[in-house]
Amino acid sequence: MPALPLDQLQITLKDPKTGKLTTSPALHSSRKADRYFVSYKPPPKDNIPALVEEYLERAAFVAADLDWLLALPHDKFWCQVIFDETLEKCLDSYLRYVPRKFDEGVAPAPEVVDMQKRLHRSVFLTFLRMSTHKESRDHFLSPSAFGEILYNNFLFDIPKILDLCVLFGKGNLSLLQKMIGNIFTQQPSYYNDLDETLPTILQVFSNILQHCGLQGDGACATPQKLEERGRLTPSDMPLQELKDIVLYLCDTCTTLWAFLDTFPVAGQTFQKHDFCYRLASFYETAVPELESAIKKRRLEDHKLLGDLWQRLCHSRKKLLEMFHILINQVCLLPILERSSDNVQGFIEEFLQIFSSLLQEKRFLRDYDTLFPVADDVSLLQQASSVFDETRTAYILQAVESAWEGMDRQKTTEATDLL
Amino acid sequence: MALPRLTGALRSFSNVTKQDNYNEDEAELKIKRSKLYSKGSDLGLTWKKIVKFLNENLDKDEVQSVNEDLKDILQASKQIVGMDNGREAIESGAAFLFKTFYLTNLVGHRETKAIKQMFGPFPPSSATAACDATSRITSHFSEDDLSDLLRKTEEENENRVLFGKNIVFSFDMHDLDHSDELPINGDNQKMISLDY
Repeated sequence: MPALPLDQLQITLKDPKTGKLTTSPALHSSRKADRYFVSYKPPPKDNIPALVEEYLERAAFVAADLDWLLALPHDKFWCQVIFDETLEKCLDSYLRYVPRKFDEGVAPAPEVVDMQKRLHRSVFLTFLRMSTHKESRDHFLSPSAFGEILYNNFLFDIPKILDLCVLFGKGNLSLLQKMIGNIFTQQPSYYNDLDETLPTILQVFSNILQHCGLQGDGACATPQKLEERGRLTPSDMPLQELKDIVLYLCDTCTTLWAFLDTFPVAGQTFQKHDFCYRLASFYETAVPELESAIKKRRLEDHKLLGDLWQRLCHSRKKLLEMFHILINQVCLLPILERSSDNVQGFIEEFLQIFSSLLQEKRFLRDYDTLFPVADDVSLLQQASSVFDETRTAYILQAVESAWEGMDRQKTTEATDLL
Repeated sequence: MALPRLTGALRSFSNVTKQDNYNEDEAELKIKRSKLYSKGSDLGLTWKKIVKFLNENLDKDEVQSVNEDLKDILQASKQIVGMDNGREAIESGAAFLFKTFYLTNLVGHRETKAIKQMFGPFPPSSATAACDATSRITSHFSEDDLSDLLRKTEEENENRVLFGKNIVFSFDMHDLDHSDELPINGDNQKMISLDY
């Protein structure tokens, strides 16, 4: 007889007091073990022994509890995951606070490194198990119930998914792609959540511009108060403030890029918010200003400035790569994959996106260096017989004019180092 | 101070997450410790198993003297775990002390650290008493006999199958891309001719 999915399974239990047999769902809060997961705290920044010891104690609790969780049978695992709030908090705190590799910091003690590795693996395996609705032939959840469980219990949410991508996307990309693909397939409400999150993501870029005194879109929501000090530009602000901005930019770009790199299908949802144009516009406004601010500070902490420069170069590259993923996903891939009858809409989208950013000369130049626009245009020409030559020529001309007065060869070499 | 993060902003300002409170850090560890020793969940080796093992493997005369030592360990556990905790917690603490001291006859740094990690600050005299009593008990056995006791409980734990045991996991994480260095003196280095 085929096994029932866990969400439809009933179990019969004997009441210890009355001896009477009762039936209840296999997924029930009464079947959750009394376990207490502590939240995760990152290793101390300086290797003070007492703080290291405290970190190790807490981390050892988390590691042992996750090992215990991973060893639970399928039904018990899901009861714990659904009904244990301390577990949800523990996993969320790990995603929030575990140091990213690109964070600045001192080298941790060897025992801390070992513990971090143990935790990192266990956390990944826990999320992997949580994103798997069919564990074996006999142990599975029905896809619809699985989607409901994930969503209604906040087992995954958009910030968590973004964290997972930046933490595990480099070394475990193919598994992570399967996990996130399955989550979005079984629960399409995550697309709505992503759609709802995008205004906040765009607001993060606006906030960076605002902090740099460069509010884009000419739309600073509130007028500056009379008593408020004038907004400082990156060149005038204290170095610490500039550092905070560059670190924030670096984290934002790396995290978003890691998500799109893992799950490029999300590109359609991004572009619903005109993301390509917003990205290019942000790049055009913020990058030259931040570059110039770092270069100008000759007499300040050179080591820190070198680090900020590296982070800015990295952020630039991630912004350009993100734009390329979006163009690829929204226009180029559909053209390559579909028959020639259906490609016109995607070609139009491509032309519209590039037409909207012809004024963003610095962006166009840097993008063209990494991903030559002429190559994409040539692809479009091959894909369609009715191609708008006039508009295309106009775009290519704008790209060319973005290079005017610049040594193309030299810039290419510099960008190769990015 | 927490680093500025995109996902931090999304957690705070978007309405797609569950808002959590993370202000209970200190209390958490206390609750965890008390739960651990009241359950003895991670030990594998329980007090009952120890007593059963001793009864099965010692002569009647030996059992009588060992009972006194067991009482000493329970008494030490009571001091370390706390008088207010119930019998279950005290027996669980006693099993932990036995496991900590069964291969040593002194309270060294490793043992002190292990007890502190499990129970927090504790009276050193109680640890010494537990250590001495454990040594007296283990003197009746060869190391192989004791290993047998421990191995049985460990085998019980190992029989559990860990999800993902065979999955190849990589620790590689996204890092900063390599880039050119900060131009010296503000702009790209210019060639200066010294040919006057």
